[in-house]
Amino acid sequence: MDEYRAAIAIARKDIQIVSRYRLWVASMIFTPLYQGVLPALLFGAAFAVGGRVVGLEKTIGTADLAGFVFLGGVVSGLVATAFWAMGMSFRNEMENGTLEPTWLTPTSKETLVIGRALGGMFWFLFGQIALFAIGIAFFGLRLRWEMVYAVPALVLASIALIGVAHLLAGIVLTIRDANLFIDCTNFLFATASGVAFPILLLPGVLQPIAYALPTTYAMDILRQHALGTRPLMDPVVEYLALILTTVVMFPLGRWAFDRAEQRMRVRGTLGQY
Amino acid sequence: MNAGVWAMDLRALGAAGLMSLRQIRRYPSNFIGQIFWPIMLPAVWVLMGQAYSGGGDPAAMDAFASRSGTTGITLFIFVGYAMYMWLSSLLWGPGTALRREQMTGSLEAVFLTPVSRLVPLFGPTLTNVVWTVFQLVVMGIAVWLMFGVVLPLGGVLLTFLIVLAGLPAMYAMGALFGAAVLKFGEIGPAVQFVRGALSLLCGITFPIVMLPVWAQMTSTVMPPTYVVSAIREALLNGATPIDVAPAAAFLLALSVAFGGLAIVLFRVLEASARRTGMLGRY
Repeated sequence: MDEYRAAIAIARKDIQIVSRYRLWVASMIFTPLYQGVLPALLFGAAFAVGGRVVGLEKTIGTADLAGFVFLGGVVSGLVATAFWAMGMSFRNEMENGTLEPTWLTPTSKETLVIGRALGGMFWFLFGQIALFAIGIAFFGLRLRWEMVYAVPALVLASIALIGVAHLLAGIVLTIRDANLFIDCTNFLFATASGVAFPILLLPGVLQPIAYALPTTYAMDILRQHALGTRPLMDPVVEYLALILTTVVMFPLGRWAFDRAEQRMRVRGTLGQY
Repeated sequence: MNAGVWAMDLRALGAAGLMSLRQIRRYPSNFIGQIFWPIMLPAVWVLMGQAYSGGGDPAAMDAFASRSGTTGITLFIFVGYAMYMWLSSLLWGPGTALRREQMTGSLEAVFLTPVSRLVPLFGPTLTNVVWTVFQLVVMGIAVWLMFGVVLPLGGVLLTFLIVLAGLPAMYAMGALFGAAVLKFGEIGPAVQFVRGALSLLCGITFPIVMLPVWAQMTSTVMPPTYVVSAIREALLNGATPIDVAPAAAFLLALSVAFGGLAIVLFRVLEASARRTGMLGRY
């Protein structure tokens, strides 16, 4: 119960901090809109024949460009939440000088990550609802109710991403230029998950990496249910692969985080900036 | 103004350039980003182009060519992203230099020196050219090694001439932004917003004809539009210097307009700052 209260308190604190910066909140909606969604929609529309994106239909089995772009944003947002709101948040605490006091509380380290996950998920859902509303109102986004069938896949991917966030937290606490590291790896992780294009278009050597990511399967399952796209493989196999990668990612992330924490305690670098 | 004062200002301009060059050298990890992003960002968009075109479906490619004037998606995207990277380093570099001086508490000290105000306004732009050329070279190599696109030598030379012609207008625009940010205060959101708006208006990843008419009209007074368009003409359609001369003329006119605006705005802000004492504020 105490751990639950601590997680909620961390989430509330994170939500409160972000809500104090109005420009930051606005940029959660408008930055993905003008840096990702709008250019992608206009670029895709440049290939349209008679208003229909026939090329996309040939590639994935649907000409629904808006759906393809906006749903890519869902998994992209989930990944960004894991990388920035969870993984990077420990580094931010380190820079603010509050990591040591936080570490000294009797709260377990998992609760610290899960609390941040809850706060991050709040802003993720807020941003997605706003983006979907804008998509429906201005860009012809039409969501099929069948997309709710993909919710279990997104939940599983979120659990796997909490594992990834542990791994990242372990790394960013031990390196100096964490900002560049998170920025680059976030981009690569999202791209390899197929948020911008089907992973079959990736160079052959990179495809095994894509298949090792839980978010690749979550992305594909979401697009299948919401848009009727061609699946990468049998959906049952995709679910199994998603479960398997989640089962691997979560303990792997925990193990890496524990190792990093142990090393920092021994070296006394927790309070160093 | 006598020659001695001019020489003093020129020396100060050189020193300001040297200072920002030294700052670049002090953060070697920045070079990783300067190699990673110019390659990875456009590469992703090229693959998106393959997805949207159905792997080169003739009807889709014809549609794209009718709107962009070319079927060379790879170069189209890489040229656009060369401008995106230029805008990024311009806005994060010289565009925010004055504000960063203000944040580090050194702006008042700089303003107390007897050099012209144009020195802190335009000084940091000199070394920014280093990044721009570096990124162009990285992207040229990437487009060749990753996508097998060999750039025509004549087009490459003309590209450097176009970049040269675009420098004054681009840095005048950066100086205008830099002066405005001094008043606005928040660097991050300002850079994101301006870079995002310019990326949308100037045809970085898609042909400008896809924009609504009002946005197309706005794009005609933005220097990046002419630079991107002229480089695409040079590399994709074999344009000659005479073909891109009108674009160079527009860039010259825009450099005068943006430069004048930047100087006027900077003087207004400085006068206001002297009255309110905001120069030293963080």
